[in-house]
Amino acid sequence: MSEAPSLEGLLGAELACCASPYDSAAVRWLLGGELHPGGDALTRRLAHVAGVRPGWRVLDVASGRGPTARLLAAELGAEVTGVDQSPQSVVAARADADAAGLAQPVRFVQGSAGALPVTSGAFDAVVCECSLCLFPGKRQAIAEMRRALRPRGVVAIADVTAELDDLPASLRGAAARVACIGEALSRDGYRELLRDAGFELVAAESHDGALAALAERVEARLRVAGMLQPADGFAELIAEATDLAREARRAIVRGSLGYALFIARRP
Amino acid sequence: MESAQREPHDSVFLELTRSICPVCRRDVEAEVVARGGGVYLRKRCADHGAFEALVYGDAERYVEIQRYNKPGDRPLRLQTEVVDGCPWDCGICPEHKQHTCLGIIEVNTACNLDCPICFAESGTGHQPDGYSLSLEQVEAMLDAFVEAEGEPEAIQLSGGEPSIHPQIVDMLAAAKARGLKLVMLNTNGIRLARDPRFAPALAEIGVHVYLQFDGFRDSTHLAIRGRRLQEEKRRALDRCAWAGVGVSLAAAVERGINDDEVGAIVAFGVAHPAVTGVFFQPVTHSGRFLDFDPRGRLTNSDVIDAIAKQLPHWFRRDDFVPVPCCSPTCRSATYALYDGDDLVPLPRFVDVDDYLDYVTTRAVPDLEIRTALEGLFSASAAGGTERTGERLECVACGVGLPEELQEVAAKGFMVVVQDFQDPYTLDVRKLRKCCVAEIVPDGRLIPFCAYNSVGYREQVRAQLSAAAGNGAA
Repeated sequence: MSEAPSLEGLLGAELACCASPYDSAAVRWLLGGELHPGGDALTRRLAHVAGVRPGWRVLDVASGRGPTARLLAAELGAEVTGVDQSPQSVVAARADADAAGLAQPVRFVQGSAGALPVTSGAFDAVVCECSLCLFPGKRQAIAEMRRALRPRGVVAIADVTAELDDLPASLRGAAARVACIGEALSRDGYRELLRDAGFELVAAESHDGALAALAERVEARLRVAGMLQPADGFAELIAEATDLAREARRAIVRGSLGYALFIARRP
Repeated sequence: MESAQREPHDSVFLELTRSICPVCRRDVEAEVVARGGGVYLRKRCADHGAFEALVYGDAERYVEIQRYNKPGDRPLRLQTEVVDGCPWDCGICPEHKQHTCLGIIEVNTACNLDCPICFAESGTGHQPDGYSLSLEQVEAMLDAFVEAEGEPEAIQLSGGEPSIHPQIVDMLAAAKARGLKLVMLNTNGIRLARDPRFAPALAEIGVHVYLQFDGFRDSTHLAIRGRRLQEEKRRALDRCAWAGVGVSLAAAVERGINDDEVGAIVAFGVAHPAVTGVFFQPVTHSGRFLDFDPRGRLTNSDVIDAIAKQLPHWFRRDDFVPVPCCSPTCRSATYALYDGDDLVPLPRFVDVDDYLDYVTTRAVPDLEIRTALEGLFSASAAGGTERTGERLECVACGVGLPEELQEVAAKGFMVVVQDFQDPYTLDVRKLRKCCVAEIVPDGRLIPFCAYNSVGYREQVRAQLSAAAGNGAA
């Protein structure tokens, strides 16, 4: 391995949340290109339930390198603005969109979810995939999404759900270091968050299977990594991460970890 | 007034196809139906009545895996024309939908065993007829294969027992000399066990051994081979390991005889240094076979379920990928990376579905990976070969595994489940996409299941026997 992965990286990957905070070589190979549970298929589902139509102006919050923005533009004919706080991601996303011939319908701007650099009421829909769980200021982020939406506009969220009290100590220990679980809400938590911001919940769907599939793929790759004769300390790291991935899969089966879509409309 | 009640059919009518009467072999129409969770082929002969055979044990999966049906390639050269219609014009005729991934040449009919199960009706001399091809004949057949395929990938020399043919080594070398990437010898292993010079001779040419290996119990050996051969198998494998010859174990699996040994065969193969894969073949009821009920025969899904049940810590049903070059219900395969006690099937870390779905018109994430996967999940592949290693490395690299892991990946262990058709199960819809062909001395390439079921084997054998001065009285 040219670059030894950190435990934080492996733990983050094991829950398979968004790529940007864990943008290390180790995590990239663990995730194998699929940067959030369910991949493109679940992004399509999210857009379908949200009712995205050709010509809609869509805001993608925490757009990363822009795969969701490109999909919405290429397949659904949406005009997409992606916002990401990492300037490197914004530059890379622009290049990828350019290469895909999507420079026209897709644009990216650098900015924070807590103070979106967009005009109020300018969007028909806001999507936020596997990212809200990372934001420390969730109420502020939701308020900003609402501000960006036109009246009757929809917000579409896909995210990790965690019943923190039911998680085993090993995962809560990991959670202390990995924002992905640590800051995730329970299913009810997301509903409340949306309701408190004045949204009307239109649909909620469980997709725990998508998270389980990704956790399993990560576990398989960790086991393959364990087949090498790794150098000092690395074997233990892999063994520990493999155990955590197994623990996470069990938690998903029990229902204390999951993945869900929430679609809500502003008045 | 009481109204008359309509009777529902007992099954779901899935497909209409054609087959043959297993008794008189005339053309008959056939229905493929789903009933009680299984898929059956039903047909009726005007003279011999109704026949029904199980063709896939899991109806849901049968329907679901049709999307793995890859459009075939046209061969460079056809050998026959359409005259009487499928399956009477083999082959290959212009109606065929696929080129030949794997060619088979049966170099003789003689054998050093008299197995109770033998689709080729071979034996140690109790048959009045029989033949043994000359080196020149085999060379001409290899040339015909090259002409049809351009750069054919895989060939298997079979029999009879090909290892007892005096010129077998020259024949294998002739195949290698024509650029075939995978040259296999299909053998019972007796010569390998007894002749210490044989494995090194195969190693020198670069031959891959396809070794009959049906299980471990005496009862399995006696039922399928008529003799206890455990010691011969062990010695043959050890000699291959020592000489550096790669071996695929080939197990004929029959319900109630050795279907409980499939897990142990895989575990044995994974642990043995010479073994690079296992091929399971539910017993074909062509040639010589044991008493059986065609409605209760073993199918691919049954073997896959048995592997998953017997090795739950290693495999699940969905680790097995339908092979797209032939009809997807004919062959399923998987690759597994292993080390010590741990084994990880390839589909656990590569979403193969993303690449091998030919019916849904969605974009393939990476065409190079698709090509590599098509090469791996093909009738021309065997575990442990250079080509397989390169393709596994390509997939591993394509999905971002670092270099060291690509080397582990290249050592993937292959498990294949292949259900060949017989006169009870023959479905021309599958036959027309068949990519395993018997090469015969006149240069025809006859789809394997047609060769065994329709009457081609008997015709070819009679011609060659007569030419050799051997004939049934």
